[in-house]
Amino acid sequence: MFSVLVIVSGLVDLLGSGDDTVPMVTLGVLAGLVSSIGYSRIRAAERVRDADVLGGLTLCLLLLVMMVSAAHLLIGTTGSVVDALTDSTAALTTTALGVLAPDVGDHAGRFLRAGSQWLGGFGGLMVAVAILPFFGAEREFADRSRLRGRRPMTPNRLTAMRNIVYLHGVVSVGTWIGYVLAGLGTFDALMVAMATVSTGGMVDGDPFADPAVQYVAIAGMAVTGTSLVVLWRLVVGRTRGLMRSAELRAYLGLLVLGTALLLLWTGGSGPDGIRRAAFTVTAAVTTTGFPSAPAGIWAAAAPVLLLGLVSIGPMTGSAGGGFQIMRHRALLKVALREMVRQLHPRVVSRVRLGGRVVSEATLSRIVVVQFLVVSVVFATATVVAAMGLDMAAALGVAIHAISTGGPVRALDGSLLDPTDWSAPVRLAILPAMVIGRLSVYPAMVAASSTISAVRHRVRLRRRILSYRGRAG
Amino acid sequence: MVSARGGIRSTTAHVTGLALLFISLGMLLSAVVEYVDGTNGAALLMAATATAVSGAALWWSTRPGALDHATIFTAVGTTWLVASAFGALPYLFAGTFAVAGRPWAVVLADALFESISGYSCTGSTVFGGHNPIGSQGSGVLLYRQLTQWAGGMGIVVLVVTVLPSLRASGLGLIDAEAPGMGVDRLAPRVKDTATRFWKLYTGLTALIAVGLLAAGMGPFDAIAHALTTASTGGFSTRDASIGHWDSLSVELVLVVAMVLGAANFTLHWRSLASRRIVHFRDHEFRGYLTILGVGTLLVAGMLAIDGMGVGRALRMGVFNVVTLGTSSGFGNATGAGSGGDFVRWTAGPQMILLFLMVFGGCAGSTAGGVKVVRLRVGMSHAYRTLRGFRRPRALFPVRQGARTVPEAIVERIAGFMVVYGMLVVVGTVAVTALGTDLVTAVGGVIGALGNMGPALGDVGPADSFVDGFSTPARMVLAVLMLVGRLEIFPMLLMLVAPYRSLRGAGRSNRP
Repeated sequence: MFSVLVIVSGLVDLLGSGDDTVPMVTLGVLAGLVSSIGYSRIRAAERVRDADVLGGLTLCLLLLVMMVSAAHLLIGTTGSVVDALTDSTAALTTTALGVLAPDVGDHAGRFLRAGSQWLGGFGGLMVAVAILPFFGAEREFADRSRLRGRRPMTPNRLTAMRNIVYLHGVVSVGTWIGYVLAGLGTFDALMVAMATVSTGGMVDGDPFADPAVQYVAIAGMAVTGTSLVVLWRLVVGRTRGLMRSAELRAYLGLLVLGTALLLLWTGGSGPDGIRRAAFTVTAAVTTTGFPSAPAGIWAAAAPVLLLGLVSIGPMTGSAGGGFQIMRHRALLKVALREMVRQLHPRVVSRVRLGGRVVSEATLSRIVVVQFLVVSVVFATATVVAAMGLDMAAALGVAIHAISTGGPVRALDGSLLDPTDWSAPVRLAILPAMVIGRLSVYPAMVAASSTISAVRHRVRLRRRILSYRGRAG
Repeated sequence: MVSARGGIRSTTAHVTGLALLFISLGMLLSAVVEYVDGTNGAALLMAATATAVSGAALWWSTRPGALDHATIFTAVGTTWLVASAFGALPYLFAGTFAVAGRPWAVVLADALFESISGYSCTGSTVFGGHNPIGSQGSGVLLYRQLTQWAGGMGIVVLVVTVLPSLRASGLGLIDAEAPGMGVDRLAPRVKDTATRFWKLYTGLTALIAVGLLAAGMGPFDAIAHALTTASTGGFSTRDASIGHWDSLSVELVLVVAMVLGAANFTLHWRSLASRRIVHFRDHEFRGYLTILGVGTLLVAGMLAIDGMGVGRALRMGVFNVVTLGTSSGFGNATGAGSGGDFVRWTAGPQMILLFLMVFGGCAGSTAGGVKVVRLRVGMSHAYRTLRGFRRPRALFPVRQGARTVPEAIVERIAGFMVVYGMLVVVGTVAVTALGTDLVTAVGGVIGALGNMGPALGDVGPADSFVDGFSTPARMVLAVLMLVGRLEIFPMLLMLVAPYRSLRGAGRSNRP
């Protein structure tokens, strides 16, 4: 995938100067060759464990980050390794905390950046819809039932992947056409569309000055934040009872309520005010993070509202990050059940979501995700605070990084520029972005497996040494 | 329902009445001190009389009834609410917060806030530059300290010591009030367990008072601070709190005392009973000391890097980490912007203090917060879930030392942490909606739920909550203080339980 992205980026550069075409195509071909050789030589294990798949995903993302960084360095988008790493991680994890600003004429750099975001969003969808429900967590939420002749979206892994490619492709092309019709140039529209459908949010310049573009962006983001299963049901005509989905209603309610509250707390009014508020709120809920400078004076609660919306996130099974609505609903039900259990300690109570009973294992894993997310937020905020950010910025950066959202705002609502942060701060937030994009478990399983392997090696080495000592 | 012995059968009213009688004794003692000091103690006497009469009326007219889970939560929650409301009377009668030009609603809210902050052992205060603590009479000051002392071990625990009719059901009441995951029995009889807890608590308070006297505090201040140290409350008789003395020996005595106050009292009892220190065998206590130790090193290190001398950084680090890590909330700032004013530190050490504010002390202590044992179980649960991905068919129990934690307890802890997290989020949104900035709101909400006292942002150790929060925001914090002190469920369920019983009664009446 990386080689295709780099080759296409190189070819796209022909639209401009074409300086970067040769190095990019060469890099792409080399990467393709190496990966083909590796793919043909390395055999998959006969028995694949969940942990292997999840660890492999993490490794894939980390490799992609390094390769995209190398590509940026190769074509001279930046000369700084830290900047290249930060920007490629932000792009591939669809976190709108990028630090590079490619020139308007740098078609290869711009396409590589937008393409990385698109790839990140696509990968996020694969993880959420086609991988996690089959390998590990939240199996109940997959759309598999063939009851009464239904056409499920994810009856098995391969069909799920095919359907994701189809839906993501249709939404991408639709958004692109929407931006072109709203008045953006074809290439610019493609760049913004890729940033929109991936919930990446990293765009060059200010393409949203035109209200028509903003309306398309609102619609595009809202669709992207919707679960692919909902979109699938619309496509195959399974619309009956769609609006009875509590998650969909909660998502739409969040968008409407968030817009109303932001209007209230920013003193906005009229169609322009509503549009601006809806744009900001949709960008926050879907964790897209398109920048929007505050108009008027923001109340103290406004930036907190946006921070809260980013951490809640969109529907499960969408390209967005955050904790996501389904998990929040599960936590709420766990909390209510705990209260009932306090009154009736022996009661047997099942948690139902979307009409299905959720297993205790899934609930337990969701609770653990919450614990891990809070831990990562605390750790990241402490590290970046120790490196010089103030408390509000540190908390904001940590929450945005793990939610793969952006941009970070100061207490008065103004946007913080990631390029102002020191190199250690930028590096410190990268793990949180990776953990957030992989929906927490893959990265944490990979980390714990690595730690276990190292501990095992150390113990083994110690035993061997002590045995040798005794024998000697 | 009237019982055979004549009184109305209501455990809630009976326990509440007796609790009011107890707190009226504190008011009476404070009135005496105020008279002896030469100032007018009439306000305190009036408050004591009103509280005692109300308490006696409730107590005499009722008899304890059945104690199911709903009644236990209702009894404990109501007792704390009513005690906090009556606890505000001395401030109202003495006109403590009746500063010229303030509406009566604000005066009432401030009196309630100070009372709830006292009984819940939070230590947040609405005294400050506009209304200094130093201008209050010694009776009011002592009363303030006594509220924390009573709240530390628990008003309901106190009630159980003199209420033989509750028998074994009293353990449920203690359980619902005690911090942590349930209470260990120190004696076969519940009444004896409650009595032993209070004896231990009184002994620890006396020991701290002697230590503070030896460190150079005056007798009144020593006793007053001993009351709020054993209870990990944090109220002081001085505007600058412990910073008023600027004494290393006073701070050292307090550090040791706060650590003891935030440790499990069962460990103290077992040490006394076996004449051996058993604390270090306990995994929670060791984890708690490790957290405090690592926190101190990190904070002191960062302060030293930021330019504070190493010795001073260590002193400030130890005191502030322990005071917030034990949920006491004393301050050693000699003034705004001085070394101990941690809200003026850089953000790194403040983040560590925020972490400590969340976790508080050990279960079975007077400290607030989530508690170290829950953190340990939470971490253990998370780790075994991650291991489960590598070995899907293996069963990994959650362990605390050699003991396996039952799954039901793990689920309870998980549920508790979920509710705690939700309250932090909802509280922060509510407080910011009422006009507070993010950092002050997060610090205030976590501080209120964890019963800390000072928070971050605009409400550091040298600041008043009047300056940082609007009156409605302070009321939100006051509610969170009570919710946090009773470990969430009793306060939430006291509202739900009557509704559920009504609904249940309605259902049973259906043909």
